[in-house]
Amino acid sequence: MRVAGVLVGCLTALLGLLYFVVAGAALGAFLLWPRTRVRAHALLAAGARRLTALERGRRSLFFHDVFPEHRADDRQTLRYLAARTYSGLLCAVVVGLVDFGAVLAGIFAVGLTRSSMTWVDVLSQVVLGGTLLFLAVQGLRALTEQDARLARECFGPSERELLQRRIDELATSRAAVVRAVDVERRRVERDLHDGVQQRLVALAMLLGRARRGRTPERADALLEQAHKEAQEVLTELREVAWRVYPTALDSLGLREALGGVSERCAVPVRMEYDVPDPLPSAVETAAYFVVSEAVNNAAKHAAADEISVRVRQRGATLLVLVRDTGVGGADPAGSGLTGLGSRVAALDGTLHVDSPLGGPTTITAELPCA
Amino acid sequence: MRVILAEDSTLLREGLVRLLAEEGHEVLAAVGDADALLREVEAHAPDVVVTDIRMPPDHTDEGLRAAVRIRELRPEIGVVVLSQYVERNYAAQLLTSSAERVGYLLKDRVAQVEEFLDALERVHAGGAAIDPEVVRQLLIRTTHVDPLTRLTPRERTVLEALAEGHTNAAIGEKLHISLSAVEKNLNAIFDKLGLHRTTGYSRRVLAVLRYLES
Repeated sequence: MRVAGVLVGCLTALLGLLYFVVAGAALGAFLLWPRTRVRAHALLAAGARRLTALERGRRSLFFHDVFPEHRADDRQTLRYLAARTYSGLLCAVVVGLVDFGAVLAGIFAVGLTRSSMTWVDVLSQVVLGGTLLFLAVQGLRALTEQDARLARECFGPSERELLQRRIDELATSRAAVVRAVDVERRRVERDLHDGVQQRLVALAMLLGRARRGRTPERADALLEQAHKEAQEVLTELREVAWRVYPTALDSLGLREALGGVSERCAVPVRMEYDVPDPLPSAVETAAYFVVSEAVNNAAKHAAADEISVRVRQRGATLLVLVRDTGVGGADPAGSGLTGLGSRVAALDGTLHVDSPLGGPTTITAELPCA
Repeated sequence: MRVILAEDSTLLREGLVRLLAEEGHEVLAAVGDADALLREVEAHAPDVVVTDIRMPPDHTDEGLRAAVRIRELRPEIGVVVLSQYVERNYAAQLLTSSAERVGYLLKDRVAQVEEFLDALERVHAGGAAIDPEVVRQLLIRTTHVDPLTRLTPRERTVLEALAEGHTNAAIGEKLHISLSAVEKNLNAIFDKLGLHRTTGYSRRVLAVLRYLES
């Protein structure tokens, strides 16, 4: 198939050469005259575009190349056709040389049977033929690769473009991750200072008052209050730590950690979990936060009376889906959802939020597990 | 004394109200944000205001701005701000006009009930109450300043106590030295720092803080 493609390529190159010669002869004068240059150029390009479409068809048919919808401009088209014609003709020459070599080898083989050649002659002929064959094959390989590269540059995003696109993506997701981490760190700081620290100060104050207590009964009552307060501080501290990183993920796995989320939620949560393979820990963490954030949002803001969570593995992708029966209107640009988006994007995943006013809200995350 | 409290954590606010009531002070109002604080101050004219710096809606420096305003409008009202951490800028903003009837305490200080009540009394009496931690950090940050390095360790501790806003008698008590020894140390400090000898301890606090900040 590929061989046929290369051979057809030689023919289309001839066609290209023919086009350039004929069109060049017909339009050459107009191309030189400034007044008609633009029109002549457009005419030339229009023809070139037909031939280029032919090339594109050839690449798709014989080499199964898939190109995106991508319209090259006139300059690009002409440049491609010129380069392609040149490399195709070169290819035709090399193919011709190989054929010629094959004929020579045949003659040589016939000569060998009735021969009067010395073994030195035979050896030198074989070495020479082998070298030329090697060069021809290398040349053909290089030319077919060149052909593929030219086609990619003209018809689809070139490797450069793809790389550039990937770099842009990575830069964006990196910045988003840094931002998300900062936001989270601030939240932790807030939790510690406005929650735990305040409670501890209040606790210490209770103890201080107990020490200054005028009567033993009063001091006892204050001590008891302080004792209760100390236990509440502990609970709060544990919750803050849990919000930073759920330890259950390490010890018990995603399924159990998600079970904890639904237990702590005031709204009933229906959980479907279908993940046969062990997941990378980064994926588990991201999936956990998607579920816990979405479930908490639904319980807090959406006035939902039921939440369903589905975690499934499809091939190398983990699908996380959280749907609630609430009022909708969740803002994908809000800080919580943006943070989640960044977390998911950092793993090359996608997060999709569908939350029309009036509900229901569906949050879908696709996380590659490779 | 008659006190107005501003603190957004209900838990802490209630604790403070109880504490002050138990100590025989009158809490005129206890509010959760700076706007309400300004309103209550206008309505009640308290002796002392105790306010958290970080409060709703933005949780940045609402309380401090309210405190500065109160000091501008009603300089006779003592103001004690509670800060989450040592913020040099905040302390400077609060102290630029004068170091009378003003306090800057770390929030944790509230837990040391005696020290907190003592600081409140000092501010009420027309003095200053600067958190020991604030003073310590200011001193650490300025150790490269030449004159301070000339102080003996004893003079240094006296200066710290002085900057906190204590009277000579209180310093003597705190460091277990005689009143005359305190005065001797102070004179040595003023000499070494090149400050004019003046009476009135808050003026001295101001001088020390200004010096430390320069």
